[in-house]
Amino acid sequence: MILEPILPRVLSVRRIPAAHAALLESYGADLSRHTSLGLVTCDQDDATYVALDEATKHSPVDVIYARSFYAGSDHASGRLSGEILGVIAGSDPEEVDEGLNALLRCLEHDACFYSADEKGEIAVFPHVISSLGHYLSKEAGLEVGDSMAYLVAPPMEFSIGVDAALKAAEVEAKKIFPPPTETNYAAAYLAGEQCACEAAAEAFAEAVVEVGRRPLTR
Amino acid sequence: MSSRTRQLIEVLRIKLGEARPLAQPAPARPVQAKARASSGPKGVPRVVTSHQRREAVERFAQEASKHTTALVGIGSVGTRYATDTVLQFQAELAVAHEAVGAVLPKGWAESKGLLPLKSRVSDHRQFLLRPDLGRRLDESSVALINEEVAKDVDVQPILADGLSAVACMGAGMELLEAFTRECQGRGLSVGTPLCAQFARVWLEDEIGELTRAKVAVILLGERPGLGTGDGLSAYLVYEPKVGKTDGDRNMMSNIHARGTPPEQAGKRLAVLVGAMLEQRRSGVDLDLSALSAELGEAAGLGYRAPQEREQLVEVSR
Repeated sequence: MILEPILPRVLSVRRIPAAHAALLESYGADLSRHTSLGLVTCDQDDATYVALDEATKHSPVDVIYARSFYAGSDHASGRLSGEILGVIAGSDPEEVDEGLNALLRCLEHDACFYSADEKGEIAVFPHVISSLGHYLSKEAGLEVGDSMAYLVAPPMEFSIGVDAALKAAEVEAKKIFPPPTETNYAAAYLAGEQCACEAAAEAFAEAVVEVGRRPLTR
Repeated sequence: MSSRTRQLIEVLRIKLGEARPLAQPAPARPVQAKARASSGPKGVPRVVTSHQRREAVERFAQEASKHTTALVGIGSVGTRYATDTVLQFQAELAVAHEAVGAVLPKGWAESKGLLPLKSRVSDHRQFLLRPDLGRRLDESSVALINEEVAKDVDVQPILADGLSAVACMGAGMELLEAFTRECQGRGLSVGTPLCAQFARVWLEDEIGELTRAKVAVILLGERPGLGTGDGLSAYLVYEPKVGKTDGDRNMMSNIHARGTPPEQAGKRLAVLVGAMLEQRRSGVDLDLSALSAELGEAAGLGYRAPQEREQLVEVSR
């Protein structure tokens, strides 16, 4: 079954109401504003980046740390590691709670990879963010509230897909992460009107599926 | 929570030859407390939020909120109110502001067949800033009363704008007519119907003194609260004269469709007037203990049904 959601699994969610200054600093917190931390690990890094951004839309929290782990969740350092650690920070544990709630809702109902072939051996992330939060807008060099297509696939599928996406709609490539990234996928941030981002994401997903079906046909 | 990306993918799947519909995401469940993170729960683990910690308290507050229009049991989002609560609050505040800012239009009293009087206040801003001026009649109004108003009556009703001309124009006439009818039905003589502009409660003292009424009753728009710009109050005083205090008065508030309806209020006010005439006193000295059957909740006994809160804002979820 193609384009079936591969639901992200949240492996751990913890909160530190009043984190030690040394820890706050090591994760890049601003000690004048940040007191509480919310930490999450998940087996899908890109869905989690989107969910961390979602948290910043619902609560005055900042994403102070978010990094993917090398070689992805199949090669994790432990049962709870997954392929990403995300850290949000706020002035108050209540704010961090609301941020985590928004993050978990997003992972449960919105952001996820999809299977791009029948066997589920290729995964694609053709995600459209209608309105960016503080985190990804900064990462992508865009404004809060802009639309963005967040596109991820394995190296070959990504290359064909992102080319199709850029040609399908009035979108601008704000960032392209060529392979290998930490998880050996490749990714792109494309910006434009929301409808253009949607058209680009569709073209991307379609091209990825097509590459999976005919990988050796030039 | 709907996902735009999942909608797009659903369409694309069909285009690519996948007939089966996309599996529906699980309905958004309320976040539940997990026993222990280390016990390895299946699926998405849950965070214990402060919201759940307060769950029992909130259940109590929600139950309590059914009995009041006070803002209890409204929950929180982080350290803030939820959007619908904020919007409803702003809408209710706007209703109150609008009512405070309203002024009786010129000629309104005459159009209702009422004799127009005015306090010593010259404009609406001064009315809000100078309560003292709102408690005394201007010279032309004194002259008007001396010339045209019936004297030595049992009851002198006065309709007035008070702090909400909106309420006065809304149910004011209905209340005045209901009250007059009830008084007349009890064989009381009712004075010339008056309408006072820029009036504070104590204006009834001077008017009643001039008309030599036994009881003066002023029906006026009450200070608007959240969502209620249409509430009327009635203040009654026996042997009105300048210098009476609030201890000499009886009052009934929240006269509007969601509180005490004007028809019912008119009847209860007439009962109060009857008691004042009988006992020759008003205010804290007035004995209401024999009147609980006629006054119902107004006598301070028995169950008082909660006022309904009008939903001014709808937020889709």
